[in-house]
Amino acid sequence: MSSAPIIRQLTTQLGRPSSRKFHQCISRLHSTAPRSKHEHYNIVIAGGGAVGSALARLLLDDSFGLDASSRNNRSRPLKIALLEQRSSPPPLCDVVDSSSEPNSSFPHPRAYALSPTSLSYLGPSVLQSLVRSNRCGIYDSMQIWEHDGPAQLHFVGDDLDGAINDGRLVNLHSYLQKSDESDAVKPKPWLGAVVEDAPLVSAIWDELRNDDRIDLLDNVQIKTIEAPSYNAMGKIEPPPHVYITCTRSQKDGQDENHTLSADLLVAADGANSFVRKSVGNFPMMTRSYGRKAVTCTVELDTSKSYQGMAKTAFQRFLPYGPIALLPVWNSVDTNQTSGPIYANVVWSTTPSEANHLLSLSSSDFVSTLNHYLCQGPNVNPSLLADSTVPCINGSVFTKLAKEIDSFLRTANTALTMGTWTESPSRNFFRMPPRSVRVASPILGFDLTLSHVLTSSGSGSRRGGYTSPRVALVGDAAHTMHPMAGQGLNLGMADVHALANLVKEAVDSGMDVGGTDLFLDRYNDDRMLKGWGMVGGVHGLHEVFGYSGSVPNSVADTEQYQRGGSVGGIHSLLGYSRSLGMNIVNGIGPVRRVLAEVAAGATPKGIP
Amino acid sequence: MVSATLLSTAGAILNGRHRAPPFLLRKELVFGCFTTFSKLMYLREASSSNNIVDKSASINEVEPPNASQIEVNKFSSFASQWWDSRSNPLVSMNPVRIKFLRDAVHQFQVQRLSASLTEDYKQTTHRLPLYNKQILDIGCGGGLLTESLSRLGASLVVGVDASPKVVDAAKLHSFHESSRLFTFVHNERQNDNELGYNGIPRVHYFGGLTVEELAAKWHSKPNVNGSSEHLFDIITALEVVEHVPNPRSLLQAATSLLKPNGILFVSTINRTIKSYAIAILAAEYFTSKVPVGTHNWEQFLSPKEVETLVCGGDDSMKQVLLSGMVLRPPFIDMQWSLNYTDTDVNWIGAYQKHSMN
Repeated sequence: MSSAPIIRQLTTQLGRPSSRKFHQCISRLHSTAPRSKHEHYNIVIAGGGAVGSALARLLLDDSFGLDASSRNNRSRPLKIALLEQRSSPPPLCDVVDSSSEPNSSFPHPRAYALSPTSLSYLGPSVLQSLVRSNRCGIYDSMQIWEHDGPAQLHFVGDDLDGAINDGRLVNLHSYLQKSDESDAVKPKPWLGAVVEDAPLVSAIWDELRNDDRIDLLDNVQIKTIEAPSYNAMGKIEPPPHVYITCTRSQKDGQDENHTLSADLLVAADGANSFVRKSVGNFPMMTRSYGRKAVTCTVELDTSKSYQGMAKTAFQRFLPYGPIALLPVWNSVDTNQTSGPIYANVVWSTTPSEANHLLSLSSSDFVSTLNHYLCQGPNVNPSLLADSTVPCINGSVFTKLAKEIDSFLRTANTALTMGTWTESPSRNFFRMPPRSVRVASPILGFDLTLSHVLTSSGSGSRRGGYTSPRVALVGDAAHTMHPMAGQGLNLGMADVHALANLVKEAVDSGMDVGGTDLFLDRYNDDRMLKGWGMVGGVHGLHEVFGYSGSVPNSVADTEQYQRGGSVGGIHSLLGYSRSLGMNIVNGIGPVRRVLAEVAAGATPKGIP
Repeated sequence: MVSATLLSTAGAILNGRHRAPPFLLRKELVFGCFTTFSKLMYLREASSSNNIVDKSASINEVEPPNASQIEVNKFSSFASQWWDSRSNPLVSMNPVRIKFLRDAVHQFQVQRLSASLTEDYKQTTHRLPLYNKQILDIGCGGGLLTESLSRLGASLVVGVDASPKVVDAAKLHSFHESSRLFTFVHNERQNDNELGYNGIPRVHYFGGLTVEELAAKWHSKPNVNGSSEHLFDIITALEVVEHVPNPRSLLQAATSLLKPNGILFVSTINRTIKSYAIAILAAEYFTSKVPVGTHNWEQFLSPKEVETLVCGGDDSMKQVLLSGMVLRPPFIDMQWSLNYTDTDVNWIGAYQKHSMN
C-alpha cells in the first residue's frame, strides 16, 4: 500500500494539524528509527530459554485467553520477536536421535522439576512430544525424610485429587488425551515431572517455528536498550516505545545490525539478565545461601527392590542441605525400553563439601552418594543427647527437659501411629535405589537467593518486576534454593500472569506497555507470589539447616574437628521440625494443601 | 442454513482459503481505507457546512443545551491526567467494558445479521466483533474507549464530548499514536499483522458538542433513499448519563443515530445504598480513587430507569444484555469483572434497535 492515502487520511482525521508540525513529528520519528532495519513488535522477548520460549508459546496460544468470542482463532494480531543469544536449539527429534545410541547418551544433569500447573502451561502438543520421546521424568509419589529425626513425609498423586476435582488443577492425563487406555484404571495424578533443559527448549521452539506471528532471531547480541523514563508514563502524550539495537551474527561471519522497537520488552534472560542491568531501575535483594549444589545423572541399580519406585522422587535432608534423587526419562513404559534406568541427583551442601564431591572420582562419588542417601530416618532418638545432660546436672531443668522429651516423643509416636489409619503405605519407609555409576559430568553451581525490590520514591513505585515498557520474568527477577524444585515453576507462573495481561490488553485494544495499568497489575501479583515462594523456600532452608546430633552425617566430621558438641537447643528445634513433618504427613488436609501449593494450584478458599 | 455454512466453509478450505491472512485481508483494508476516507469527507462536510468546529471554539459563550457547565469544567480540569491509570479509574475499567461490548456485539449483532453476510465477513466478525463497524462514542473524554474501539477494527469511530479540553487531549493522544503508526507503515514490510493490532486510528473527535447537536447535524444531511449507511452500528454512552442534566434527551438523540440492529451501550452507577457507600464514600472519600465531587448520587440511574428512558418511547428498542461491573476481591488493584447478577453499583447494559418489519 502506498503511503499517500495514509498521509491524507491522517491529516484528515487529526483535525488537520499544521503541516509543519506534522512533518516535524514524522521526521523526528524517522530520525530515531532508521528506515532500513527497523521493525516494530508488540512484544520483544529477550532470552529464548525455557521461560522466554514458554512465554512466546503462551502468547501465541489462542486456545488460552480471556475472551470467549475470540477463542480458537488466530484472532490476536500480535507480533512477537524472540531474541536468543545462542544459535537456535535443534528440533526435538534431533535431540532425541543424537542420543539414541545407548552408550553415548545420557540425560543431561541440567534439568528442571516442573509442577503439573507449569507442565500445563507448556500446552498439550509440547507436553505430548516430550512424553512420547521419553524426555519426561514423571513422579507420582515423593518421599522426604531427614537425617537425625524420625520424620518422613510422603506425598502421592492422590493428594491432588481434591484440587483436580475442584478444577483448581489441570488433569494432565486428560491433557495428554490418553483416552485409548481403559477408563477402569484411573491413572494417578502426577506430582510433577523432571525435564532436561535441552529437550524442553527444543520442543517449545518446534512449536514456535510453525507460527508466522513470531520472528525467532538467534545469535543476537543486544547492544543498547532505550526504555522510556518513569516520567513518561501517565501523560497525554503516550510514552515512547522501547528501542533495542542488536547485532545478529550470520552464518557467513557477517554481522547484521537490527533496530527493534516494542510496546513491551520482556527480560527472560536469566539470573544475570543483561536487560535488567542495562535498563536499570531494578533494585535486587541478593543473598548467598553459602551453599553449593552438585548435580549429575546416575545410573540406578535395578536388580532388587526397584519395582514400584520408577516414578518416585526421593529427598533426604542432611544438615547442610538435601540430596534429591529424581526420576528422568520414564515417560515411556519401562517394559518397552531395556536400557539403563537413570536418575537426576541434586545435592546441596557447603561449598567446601561440594568442591570435595566435585573432586571425587566417579566411583567414589557413587559410594559417597549411596552412603548418604540410602539411609532410613532415625527412629525416635532421645531428645537429650548424653553430652548435654551433665551440663545441667542435678538441676530441676533436667527433670523438666526429660518431661518435655518424653512428651514430644509420645506425640510423635502417636502421630506416626495415626498415619497408619489413613493409609498404611505412607508410613512405610522405602529405601531409595542405589546408584551404580555416574552417567554424566558432575556439575556444581552456587546457590543464591535473590528477588527484585520496590522503592517508592517520590510517591510512585520504582523497581519491582516492571519499569516503563519493560517486564521481568523468571530468573531475571528471582532465584532461590532448588530444594523445593520451585525455581522454574515460579518463572512459569510469571509467564502465565504476563501472557494473560498481554492478551487482556490486546483484546481490549489497549497498549500493554503504554499504561501503568497492566504493568502495575503484573507487578502487584508477582511481588506477592514471588516473595511468598522465595520466602517460603528460604524458611524451609532455615528450618532444615538446624542440625541435631547425628552419627555418620556430613556435619559431624567438621563438628568433631572443632571439638564442639551437638545437641541442646539445636536438637530441640530439630525435634520440633520432626514433629512438624510428622504432623504434615499425618494430617491429610494439611499435607494436601502443601502438595497443592507445590503443584501450583491455589489452595481452597483463596480467591 | 447450517449446512450452507458448512458447505461454504468446506469450499473455502478446499480453495486454500483456510489459511487466509490472520487479520485483515489486504483488499478489505484498502477498501476499508477508501470507505473510511469517503466517510471522513462526509464528516468534514457535515462539520464545516454547519460550523461545528467554529462553535466548539466559542463554547464558553454559548452554553450547550444538555451539558452542565460545572460538569464540563470538572472534566476539563482533569484532562491532563486522563490517560494515567493511577489517577483515572476509567483506565482500569476499559478492559471490562470492552469485554462486555465484544460479547454483546458478537452474541446479538452478528447472529442477527448472519443471513446476509458473506463467509469471509462472518469469519472476520467472529474473530473481531467490532471489525468494520461504525461507532459513536458519547462522552469520549480523553479517548480511552474511542482509541481502543478503533484498534479493534472499527471502520470509523466518532468521539463526542461536551468538554472541548478533554477532546483536545484525546486528539493529542491520537495524533501521537497515529504519527508513530505512520512510521511503521512506512518502514515495515507489508504485513497485515501490525496493521491489525496497531490499527489505523480511524477516529474523529468533536469537542464541545452535545449528542443532540451532533444528531441534529447528522440528520440534517440529506440521505440517499432513506439509507441508514451514515448511521452507527454501535453507540456507546459509558459513564456519561449520570453527568448530564437530561439523560432522556441524550439517550433519545443516541437512539436516533442508531442503524437498524445497531446496539446502544449505556453504563452508569445504580442509585442504591450500596452504591452510595462504594461509589461515593469509599471511592471518593476513603481511598481517593476518584476525585471528590466526581459523582452526584442523585443523578445515578438504575437499569430499570434507563430501560424506560431508552425503550419507553420507542418500541423498536429492546434491552438485550445487562451486567454489573464489580471489583474483584482484593479491591486495591482495581481489577474489574463482569457479574451478570449484581447490578447494585456499576452496571452496563446493551439495547438493540430491532428492525420494524
